Amino acid sequence: MVQDKSKITAFGLNDISVKGGKYVANWRVYKPIIDKEGCVGCGLCISYCPEEAITKDDDGKAEIDYRFCKGCGICANECPQKAIEMKKEDEA
Amino acid sequence: MPQDFDVMPGNKAVAHGVRLARTEVIPAFPITPQTTIIEYLSDFVADGKLDAEYIHTEGEHSCMAAALGASLVGARTFTATCSEGLAYMHEIVAQAVNYRAPIVMAVANRTLGWYWSLGPDYSDIMPEMNLGWLVNFVETNQECLDMALMNFKIAEDYRVLLPTMMSLDGFYLSYSQERVYLPEQEEVDDWLPAYKAPYPVDPTESKAWPTASIPSQMHTPMRKEYEKLLNGAKDVIKEVDKSYGETFGRSYGGLVEKYRCDDADSLMVTMGSMTTAARRAVDKLRKEGEKIGLLKLRYMRPFPNEELIELAEQVDSIGVVDRVLMHGTGGGMAFQDVKSYLYNTGIRVPVQGFVTGLGGEDIPIDDLYQMSKKVIGNKGKKLTEEVEFVSHAMPGMAPPVEIENDSCMYPGSDGCAGCGASIIVRTLLNTLGENTIVMNPPNCSGVNYGGVVRVPWVLANFAAAAAYETGAYRALKAKGKADKVYVTSYAGDGGTYDIGLQSISGAAERGESIIWLCYDNEAYMNTGIQRSGSTPEYAATSTTPVGSVWKGKPQRRKNMLMIMAAHRIPYIASASLAYIPDFKRKIQKAAEITRNGEGMAYLQVHQPCTTGWYFDPSKTVEIGRLAVQTGAYPIAEIDHGEFKLNIKPRELKPVKEYLEPQRRFRHVDEELLEIIQGHITEDWESYLKLDEQGKLPWY
Repeated sequence: MVQDKSKITAFGLNDISVKGGKYVANWRVYKPIIDKEGCVGCGLCISYCPEEAITKDDDGKAEIDYRFCKGCGICANECPQKAIEMKKEDEA
Repeated sequence: MPQDFDVMPGNKAVAHGVRLARTEVIPAFPITPQTTIIEYLSDFVADGKLDAEYIHTEGEHSCMAAALGASLVGARTFTATCSEGLAYMHEIVAQAVNYRAPIVMAVANRTLGWYWSLGPDYSDIMPEMNLGWLVNFVETNQECLDMALMNFKIAEDYRVLLPTMMSLDGFYLSYSQERVYLPEQEEVDDWLPAYKAPYPVDPTESKAWPTASIPSQMHTPMRKEYEKLLNGAKDVIKEVDKSYGETFGRSYGGLVEKYRCDDADSLMVTMGSMTTAARRAVDKLRKEGEKIGLLKLRYMRPFPNEELIELAEQVDSIGVVDRVLMHGTGGGMAFQDVKSYLYNTGIRVPVQGFVTGLGGEDIPIDDLYQMSKKVIGNKGKKLTEEVEFVSHAMPGMAPPVEIENDSCMYPGSDGCAGCGASIIVRTLLNTLGENTIVMNPPNCSGVNYGGVVRVPWVLANFAAAAAYETGAYRALKAKGKADKVYVTSYAGDGGTYDIGLQSISGAAERGESIIWLCYDNEAYMNTGIQRSGSTPEYAATSTTPVGSVWKGKPQRRKNMLMIMAAHRIPYIASASLAYIPDFKRKIQKAAEITRNGEGMAYLQVHQPCTTGWYFDPSKTVEIGRLAVQTGAYPIAEIDHGEFKLNIKPRELKPVKEYLEPQRRFRHVDEELLEIIQGHITEDWESYLKLDEQGKLPWY
C-alpha cells in the first residue's frame, strides 16, 4: 500500500526551507559605523559577529546588514584597525 | 495583632512558607517556571535566614532521590519542580509513597512536552496523580504560602504520613505579584512543631525502617490500605484547615471551596488560578439572575467526592473546566473524575466538560462566562457533545526577512546582544556543513537559534541528548550513511557536566561516532544563571548567591576533559570563541574522526555570557581571550591520547584581570582572589606537565 503524506495531520513540522533572517534592528541603542578607509578587510569582525550581520563588500571591506545588527559592539571592540565606531542610534 | 503584608510572586510566597516551616533539607534543580522558588530559598540560606541543608543536585531524578533520602532519615524536606523535571522524577515520586515520606513538593505547573511550552497546564501533574500522593491545587499567592505550611502539617500527621504535591499555575501565580500576609515565626513554630519521623532510617534512633519490597499477595491489601489512608487524610485536611484558620485567620474550606453555591441550580467546577476568573463569571451571571455556583477543587487526591455528590444532588447541570486532556478518554482529568463519582449514585445530572487553556493559554472571564451559559442551558438536556474544546486564534507573527546567503544559519536571532553561544553555533554549523543533525538538549541556544538554522535541529530531552545522537547515528549506519551525515549535540554545560553526563558517558564508552559539543558558559543560563558543575569557584549565581553565610559557589569546577579522557575516546578538546581558527581546526578534526567511525569527539568551547556574568556585551570576545591568557580556561586537546596544550602564553596574566570586569566576581576580596589564583596556577602547572609528557599513559 502506498501511504499518502498529505493525510498526516498535527505533525508540527520544522521546515528549514521556509525560514529566513530575524529582523532585530529595533534592538539597537548604539550603531556600528565602519570607516571604509580604515578597514583592511581582515574579516575578524565577520567571524566574531554573533548575528552573521557582517559580510564583505565588492572591495573586500566589511559591510553591515543593519537589519540583523543588535548593536552589541563586539565588532568595534575587536577591530584591530579601530575602524568601527559605535555611535548612538539617533546620532549615527 | 495585625499581620504585616508584602506584595510578592507566588514562588516567593512558597519560599517564605518553606522558610517559616524551618525546613531542614532542600534539594534543588532549576526548571522554568519553578526556578525562582529554589532561588529565593538559596537567598534565605545564603543570608542565614534559614538554617537548611541546600543541595544543588545535578538533575531532577537526583533531586527527588535526595529529597526521599532526607525524608527517610527524618528531616523535614521540601523540593520543587514541574513539567519535564517532574516527569524525570517519576519513578522516585512513586517510591516516596511506600517509604511514607512526608515530602512537600511545589509544582509550578508547566505543560509537559508533547508540544513544549513554558506556560502552565496540568499535563505535568497528570501522570503523577494516581500514585498515592496528596495533590493540592492553589488559587492565589496567599494560598501558596498558607498551603506550604498546611501541607507540612497534613503530610507529617501520623494518620497520613504521605508526600504532598502543591500545584500552583506557572506564570499566573509563580511570577505574578499579589498581596501576601506573612505570619510571625513564633506563631508558626507553635503551630507547626519540628517533624519527628516515626521510623527514621537512623540506627541511633530506630531499628525499623520503611520497606519497598513485599510479597505479591500483600500488594492488593496494602494498596487498599493506602486508599484508606488517602481517604482518612480528608479528615486531617479539614482539621488542619480549621486550626490554621483559628491561628492565622485564614481558612479555605478543606478539600473544596464553595462559592455562591447555597441556592445554586447549576454548578461550575474549576481548580487552580482560573478559579478567580470563574468567580467573576459567576458574579456576572448572578447579576443577570442566574442561580449558578462554583466549586473549587482544592484537592484532587484524595478526591472530594462527598462534597461533589452533595452539590450534584442539589443542581440540575454541572460544567467542569479542565486545563488538561487525558488523551484517549476524550476529556479532562476533573471531568472524568466528576463523571465517574456520580455514576453509581443514581444522580443523573448532565456533566459538560471543557478543555481549555492548554500550553498556558489564558482562560479569560469571557470564556468562563460563555461556558457557564452553556452549562445553564444544559439543564434537563441529554448532552450531544459532552466535551467542548475552547481555544483562540493565533496572533499574527512578523514574517522572517528573506535573504540570500550560503550560511548554515540565517542572520539575526532571539539571543542576547553580544551572545557568545551564537558565535560558537554559527562557527560549528558553517564548518560541518549542511549534512549535519543537531541534537539539542534544552538550553538558551535551542530557544534562540533553533529557529534560524538551516540544518535539522532536534530538541532532545535534557538528560538524554547523547542517546538521541546515538540512535540517530546508528540509524544512519543502518542506512549506510554514517560517513555522510554528522551527528552533533549543541549542549550547554548543565546538559554536559550535570544532567547529561550519564548519557554522554554511555555513548563515549560504547564508541559511538558522534560529536559532543558543549558551549560552556559556566551556569544554567536558560533558566536564569543557576550554578552548574562547570561554575568556577566563588562565582555568584542565582543559586549560589553572596550573603552573610555564602560567598558564591564554594566548590571548584569539574574537569570534564579528564572525565572524557578516562573513557579513552579518540578526540577531546577545549576551545574558546576568542580563538576561532583553533576552534575551526578542532571542529574539522572532530568531523574527520567521526566520519572515519573512530568514536566520539568531545568539544568544549568556553563562552563568556554577557547576561549571566554581567559584563558589557561588546566584551564577549575580550573576556574569552582573558580567560585563556590568565589560565582560567586552558585550551587543550587530547588526540588519541596525545595531550597538547594548544595555547601557551609565555607568562600567564594575573587572574584578577579576567575576574574584575565580571560582576559575578565583584565580591571577591584579596583572600578569595588568592585561593582562586592558587587553584588556577596549580591546574595550569598540571596541564604543563601533561603537555610535556604528551601521551596519557592509560590510552
